[in-house]
Amino acid sequence: MTDATDPRDHERDGESPEYSVEIDDLVVRFDGDGTADDGGGTNDGDESGVTAVDGVSLSVREGEFLVLVGPSGCGKTTTLRSVAGLETPTEGAIRIDGADVTGRDPRERDVSMVFQNYALYPHKTVRGNLAFPLAVRKVPDETIEKRVAATARSLGIEELLDRKPGQLSGGQQQRVALGRAIVREPTVFLMDEPLSNLDAKLRVRTRREIAALHRRVGKTTVYVTHDQAEAMTLGDRIAVMRGGRVQQVGPPEHLYAEPANRFVAGFLGDPATNFRDGILLTDPARVETDRFTVDLADERAARLADRLDDSAGGSESRPSDSGSRPSDVTLGVRPEDLRVRAIGDSDDGDDEGPAVAARPIVVEPLGSETVVSLVFEDGNGREEFEPVADPGSDPGDLTAVVDPDRAPSVGERVTVSIPPDSVHVFDRRTGENLTSAPDPER
Amino acid sequence: MTDGNERVSYATRKRFWGVASGRVVRHLTIALGLVTVLAPIAWLVLTSLKTGQGVFEPRYVPRDPTLEAYRRVLVEAEFWKAVLNSLVVSSVTTVIVVALAVPAGYAFSRFRFPFDDAIFVGVIFSRLFPPIGIIVPYYQGIAALGLLDTRVGIIVAHIYLWLPLMVYIMRNFFLTVPQAVDEAALVDGCTRLQAFRHVVLPLARPGVAAVCILTFLYSWREFLFAFMISETLSAKPIAVAVYSFVGEVTVNWEELAAAAVVAIIPTMLVVVFFQRYVVSGLTAGALRGR
Repeated sequence: MTDATDPRDHERDGESPEYSVEIDDLVVRFDGDGTADDGGGTNDGDESGVTAVDGVSLSVREGEFLVLVGPSGCGKTTTLRSVAGLETPTEGAIRIDGADVTGRDPRERDVSMVFQNYALYPHKTVRGNLAFPLAVRKVPDETIEKRVAATARSLGIEELLDRKPGQLSGGQQQRVALGRAIVREPTVFLMDEPLSNLDAKLRVRTRREIAALHRRVGKTTVYVTHDQAEAMTLGDRIAVMRGGRVQQVGPPEHLYAEPANRFVAGFLGDPATNFRDGILLTDPARVETDRFTVDLADERAARLADRLDDSAGGSESRPSDSGSRPSDVTLGVRPEDLRVRAIGDSDDGDDEGPAVAARPIVVEPLGSETVVSLVFEDGNGREEFEPVADPGSDPGDLTAVVDPDRAPSVGERVTVSIPPDSVHVFDRRTGENLTSAPDPER
Repeated sequence: MTDGNERVSYATRKRFWGVASGRVVRHLTIALGLVTVLAPIAWLVLTSLKTGQGVFEPRYVPRDPTLEAYRRVLVEAEFWKAVLNSLVVSSVTTVIVVALAVPAGYAFSRFRFPFDDAIFVGVIFSRLFPPIGIIVPYYQGIAALGLLDTRVGIIVAHIYLWLPLMVYIMRNFFLTVPQAVDEAALVDGCTRLQAFRHVVLPLARPGVAAVCILTFLYSWREFLFAFMISETLSAKPIAVAVYSFVGEVTVNWEELAAAAVVAIIPTMLVVVFFQRYVVSGLTAGALRGR
């Protein structure tokens, strides 16, 4: 599932460090008491610990902005902290600019980090905070003064220089934390959820500033967040993590369009992808659910056939009829790909795919778009919004995003059509996407 | 509007609490508390200014205020030696306790090491253990080392008595400094030791001050161990020396009072000037970064 190319290949090719940061089969296991098990000494077979990072390999190109994203506890922060040198890997290696830094102290790595709660030095002024990384490194005073002034100017915090962190607002503290990270001009910036303590409006604004800052400074950045919107907007590439493993790495658009598995499809995008269990039939390739059947578009059907041939060739063959191989799959389709039309309204002639009768139970106008939760229209379906036990699940059977001008109202009868070229077919057992395009060469 | 259970009307209750929490009542209460605390001290000071006969005269203010008692206590009875002993014992104890409690508290607040919890419980337990329970073995140990009637013997006892509590207080202070601040310093280029010195220690400075002051005060007033170890004025601190003015047959009240006033003065100065730190030390952990 991990599809990062093996960074060792590049190292063998030559010594020129094409990658700023290389993480190689990183494993971080914590003992029961929360200390990182450094793997040295006796291995007492302690299984009480937690494996926070379980074999992560990633390489970050010079100047690239890589976002580690995933739900809490997926190991993204531990991975970042391992790069910083704040966690000791149990196994694996970390290289910065081609040099193995695995056992080195944080100060010997030439990285700087922005912490979630900023971790400013409360007893120092803003000036003192900005100057500290330079002063510790015995940079001459005149240089420090110049660099601090330039950094403060670039972040618009000049008038705050003589205040203490306690006198600053959250957004201002955040800028000072950014400033402290960039003032030293390190090889790599590490950012651990730097926006999560800001309110929504400020978060979006600071997000743009970070993007602009990265464009201006052009430094390699590894950024951790649980917010898929941050990941999508900031990352040159995104690594989606779950359970200590990388699920997929690639440019945001690619991950969005061609998720490698069901988890990635569900995690990226808001509202989340619609999933519906079904059975895969071939000749022609189609997925049959209890409500509708989708014929797969040619391109996807071809990829599907390739995958199935591959796996059938292996020893791990799935239960199958020889002729048409039905297997348990899950269909995934993004809310914005669904077409919702009032019954009888058929101005969009070019729509293909199955159309299902449905009824909106919740309509949420967001201004530029409207989110509609729908239930299938057939006697035994739910007629109205009913609270469900799992607050994370969708209120209806399907969620669609529609143009506000053409949004249906609650209770109105509509048809929902599912364009075949926008559906993904996931193996229900492994979650693997059977129809996605291969990840681009990196 | 009347509630069956409401025997006293809202208006009456409001009036009652208006008076009860009003300025007059509040100030009266405070004044009463102050008198309770200050009256004995005032009496002590007045007594110390009287003569031997004047003590028994039925009046509060001495007829001829005199510092004679102070002269006799400090000079003739060589009480100044006790003052010196106390200063030496308390200062040395404070320096050693702080030097040990600060790194120990930092270690307990930041690092995991084998048996760390067990060791910390041991530290706390040694504080909870009634000191009188070990006074006999301690006496024998000090005697075996030839430290009876020496300041060193008392200092060792005081370190034993106060170090655990101070380790605990320092640990709590260090816990109020977020670990991310240490980590930021490490990433910014510090060694562990530099991070401690430049970032963590300055933030825990109120804690260090509190530990200094508390150790000094506690050591200054400690009686039991000092009483047991010291015999002569070569080691006797003030707390013990004051007691020696209580004779076999008679009590020299004016001298006892003068000695007691001398013993109180440093404590009062410390509390007056460092009140803030004393309070924050006693409520360790409640202190927030400014």
